[in-house]
This record gives sequence, structure tokens and C-alpha cells, in this order.
Amino acid sequence: MIGIALGFVLSGALGAALYFSPAIAAAFQDFGHTIRHQALASPSASAAPTLLPAVAPGNAFTVLLLGSDNDAKFSGNEVLTQSMILARVNPATKQVTMLSIPRDLYVPLSSGGTNKIDQAYLHGGVDTAIATVEHDFGVHVDHYAWIGLLGLIHLIDAVGGVDVVAGNPVLDDFYPKDLGGNSPFDIERVAVLPGPQHMSGMEALQYVRSRHDDLRSDFGRSVRQQQVLLALRAKAKLLGVADIPDIAAAMTSQFTTDMSVTQVGELLPIAGNVSLSNVKQVVLLAPYTSGQFIGAQDVLEPNWNLILPLVHKYFPPA
Amino acid sequence: MRRLRFTAILLVLWVAFGFGVNRFLESRKSALITHPNASVPTAVTPAFTLPGTVYLSQAGHLYRFSAGRFTDMGLTPNAGSWVQPALATPGRLLVVARAAEFSDVYLVDARSGAIIQKLTSNATPKPAHVELNAWSFWPHLAADGSTVIFGYDGPKTGLTYEVHLAVWSGPLTGKLESKQWTDPTQYTGGDVNPVPLAGGGVIYARYALNAQSQIVSRVATVAKPGAPPVYLTAEAADCGEPAVSPDGTQLAVICTSDTQTARMELIPLVNGVPGVPRVLVDNCLCASPAWSPDGVSLLYLAPADATGHFQLWWLNKATALTPALPKQVTTNLDFDATSAPVWAP
Repeated sequence: MIGIALGFVLSGALGAALYFSPAIAAAFQDFGHTIRHQALASPSASAAPTLLPAVAPGNAFTVLLLGSDNDAKFSGNEVLTQSMILARVNPATKQVTMLSIPRDLYVPLSSGGTNKIDQAYLHGGVDTAIATVEHDFGVHVDHYAWIGLLGLIHLIDAVGGVDVVAGNPVLDDFYPKDLGGNSPFDIERVAVLPGPQHMSGMEALQYVRSRHDDLRSDFGRSVRQQQVLLALRAKAKLLGVADIPDIAAAMTSQFTTDMSVTQVGELLPIAGNVSLSNVKQVVLLAPYTSGQFIGAQDVLEPNWNLILPLVHKYFPPA
Repeated sequence: MRRLRFTAILLVLWVAFGFGVNRFLESRKSALITHPNASVPTAVTPAFTLPGTVYLSQAGHLYRFSAGRFTDMGLTPNAGSWVQPALATPGRLLVVARAAEFSDVYLVDARSGAIIQKLTSNATPKPAHVELNAWSFWPHLAADGSTVIFGYDGPKTGLTYEVHLAVWSGPLTGKLESKQWTDPTQYTGGDVNPVPLAGGGVIYARYALNAQSQIVSRVATVAKPGAPPVYLTAEAADCGEPAVSPDGTQLAVICTSDTQTARMELIPLVNGVPGVPRVLVDNCLCASPAWSPDGVSLLYLAPADATGHFQLWWLNKATALTPALPKQVTTNLDFDATSAPVWAP
């Protein structure tokens, strides 16, 4: 009798395993990466990495969201992070704060030297990007998620597109045609018309990636990136565990995180329960930053005396 | 023999159970995953019939909605996606064909969908310089019946990253890009959604940077080419997508206050002077309002569920102190929210 019951359990488990096979494959490949934190007091690359305890379920946590232009111009993981958003999620109060870190912010890198913060990932991957943010902003990062260009497109398409209020017309005559074109250096024209609309993955990517024709330069792009994240949050409330295989399959090799598949599944209802009025969006415009020309490149000089109090208002100091 | 039969039955039951678990999980997928695509308009029956004829765009096809059913106007997809229809001379429509890197305005037979004339040529003859292409959007025929008002980002030099839309006009029978009406704020995207006024001016949405470094939109009028804009909405309201009632006394706009939600407002116009705005539909993702020919009701586009696909909605008695509740006309379609419907008698 026990054998018969065990047979049903095994066959059921096999049926479930086959269903979750994309998620299981992703769990090994894309999820559950380890963050190797570097000691805050020692920003040098030789500092011994440490593993910190995981955040207890239900507690507030900080996640660093990273996005890279990982097109054919770059090889492997040697990419910049065009988008860095530090988010504080408090499941108890259902509040979220999103801080966009400008990619041109000129900061000390945890790998050594001073450069634009988007170089941190290039010089040491996600650990260096996290350590740089932790050291410079004096915060602790609990989790991270990195996504590539195709990952964003596939994620948005997997949930049937997103609804976005395009805040202004986004026109770009020199948009990179690096996905599916003949050369990654080709350009194309894009025009995202203003107003509420439903965007496919490709349209949303154009909206968040275009930067040439915005008076606010990279800050405008940061605002748009936060808008699309909010639109994805709206979709999250309808997703469940049974949807994870499709989403995991869509983002294969274009997404990595230290979180497990289960943790991501637990985040979905949290994200869905956050109302727009409980989302605080922060962008480091002047006077928090100022444009400078250093080392033959245009950079943004941080005013740490203003930035740190602002950041620590929303993100607990490490 | 009985034992063998029992084992065989058990194996079948185990396999069926495993398959059942797999299918059960499949059935628990959300609608977002299982129904990512909308229906084709010609395959659905709307909730109710509207008087007259409504023209709408979905997935690059232009549809005529009349007598309770949709008809694909059959415009050739070779020219691009057909969007933003507007009534032209009797029996004719102005329509934009949007290709990958440029768009052109066409004059189209409203009944047959036959192309009568291509009114612009915005594709550059230099294919290696895609930046020299141009966009034309939101064509409307002015009250004089011979002038087309539209948005245009040319002429192009390709020497700058700066590109913006401005309000332009030209004769229906001649060069459309003849007169530039507005001087947009640079690096904001420019001036959009122009609508000609009966008195000869144009109403449009103008983007500019505010004191908080946000790019916001204000609905404005301009009396003639080059004249300064006269604002009808406040900067903080962040309004656009103007639709003027046929008698010119009511203005419907979409306002967002620089947030990710929208509301549809009604602003009375007395000799062009705006009255107190009134919210018609609040906390929505409503877009692209369009008036009925009698000026009593409004059509607009908004999602009806979390799939986010935009449906057609009807708001009757829009100008009454207590408008009717909005009624959803279509289900499971996916209209282009940046392409306002046009409602013909």
C-alpha cells in the first residue's frame, strides 16, 4: 500500500518537476548567486570578502538593480551598468524607495581608483558594483538583480507588456541598433509618443534606453527606468508561482540574482501590494550632482554632503 | 495474470496522476501569461453599438466600427502601421502610415480604404543616414477645408542629437511642410497633438522643463504661425491630448500631474478662455479622448483589466453636471492608445 502511495507521490513530483524545469534550470544558472561583501572600512580590492546573513522574511531589505547594455559590442560579462537603481523594500509598511544612481557619477571604485560608477561592474562584476555602492553611499545591499537588454525585453513580453504613462515624447535619431542589426554600431530612429500606452518589451526598452534628446540627460532616462519598474510592479500582483517557469525561461542567461527562485516568488505579492502612492522616487539632480569634465570625459561630481543625508533618510546606514 | 493487469493499471494511474499534476500547475498560470495577445477586432462583437462610424487603429491596421461590427479597412501594410486617422474632406480620411524610422501622411477613402494620395515624403533618399528621416503625426484638416495641421520633426540636418516635434501646416493639395507654427522647447520632445480651432488657431500640447526639473506638458493655443502660446492648463496638472468639442466650447484633456496614473478632465472654453476644469474619469490610464459628432459624449481608450490592453470606452453626457458612468465598448482588443479614435456621423 505504501508502495502504491509512494508511486503517486513520485509521479506527482515528476509532473511538477517537468513543469518547473525551466525554473529549476534557472535556479542553477541565474538564481542564487552569492554576494561576496567587502568590509566597509577597507575599500581596497584586497579586502577579505565576507558572507552576511540573509534578511529575515518580512523584514525590510535593500536591493541593487543593475541593467547593462550587453550587446555585441561587449564580450561576455565585460559590460558597463547603464542603469543602477538602489531600492529599499519594506514589506510591513508596503513602502518602496527607488534611488537612481547616475551612471556618470564620478566615485571611488572598490576595485581601486576613481571613475564613473558604471565602470565598477566592468572592473569586477557584481561584487565590485555592490561594494562600490556600499562604500560610497554607506549603505548595506542585501540583494541584487542584474538584467541585460534581451532579458528586459523578454521579461516584459513574458508578462504581456507593460502600461506606462510616457511623460514626454522620446525621440532619438541616433538610437543604437545593436539588437538584430548588421553591426552593433548601427543606429536607428525611435519615437515614443507621449501619454498612457501599452508597451511591448522592445518599445519599453527604447523608452528607458534612449538618452540623446532629453534635456535632463541621463536623469531623464533614470526617471523613465523607474516608470517601467513601476509598471512591472503593477503586473507582479497578478503573477503566481505557476508563472515562474515561463518568466525564468524568458530571461535565461540575461538575468542573475543572489535571490533564490523561491525568494523571487515571495517578492511577487509584496511588489503587487505596494501602491503607487507608497513609492518614493529619488533622482540625484543638481545640487546633489554637478557636471564636470575630468580625465577627458564628462562626469557627474557627487556632492556627498547633500547626497549622504538624503540617502540615509531612506536607506539605513551600514 | 491478475497481478500483471493490476500493475499495468497502477502504472497508467501513476502516469495519469503525474500528467494531471503537470496540467494542474499549467492551469494555475495567470492570464498575463496565458493570454498575452488580444483578439482581432473583426473577430469580436462589441458590447453595444454606437451611432455613426468610429475609426480606430490596432496593431497597425485601421478599423471602421459601424453598425456594431468592425471592418478592417485593408490598408496595405507595406507603408507601415496605419494610425491617427482624422476626418478630411467628405468621405476621406487623413491617416498616418508609420514605418520603422519615418512616418507619412496619406489621404485615404473612408469607405474603401483606397489610398488617394501620399501627402508627405519623409523617407530620406540617403539610406545610410537614417537620422535624415522625419516623422509626421496627428494630421487634422483645418476649418477652411484646405489646410492640414500636423506635427513634424523636420526639416533635418542630421548634425545634432536634438530632435523635436513642432506644429506645422500646409495645403492639402500642395507641400504639407509649408509653415511652422510653434517653436518647441529643445530636448523635450517638442509640441504635439495639434488640433485646429474653428477660429483659425491651433490647440496643442507643449512640453517644457519645470522648476523641479521635470518635463511636463501644458495645453496651449497659438493664434497663427509664430505667435506666442497661450496656456489653457496649469503646469502642475501636466495635461495633454486635447480634444475640442465640435462647437468649440468644451475641451477634453488627459492629465497626469507627472505621475503614472491619469485622469480625463473637461475644461469649458468661453471665447477661448478656459473655465474651471472638472474631472470626468479619475485614476485611470485613459488616453486619446474623441468627441461624438453631436458633442454630447466622448470616446476614449483605457485598459479594462490587468492585461493592460487598451479598450474603447464611451462616456455619455460628458458635458452634463453629472455625466453617465463610462461604459466599456470592447473587450480583449488592443487599440493603439497613442492613436485617438475619430467619430464620424
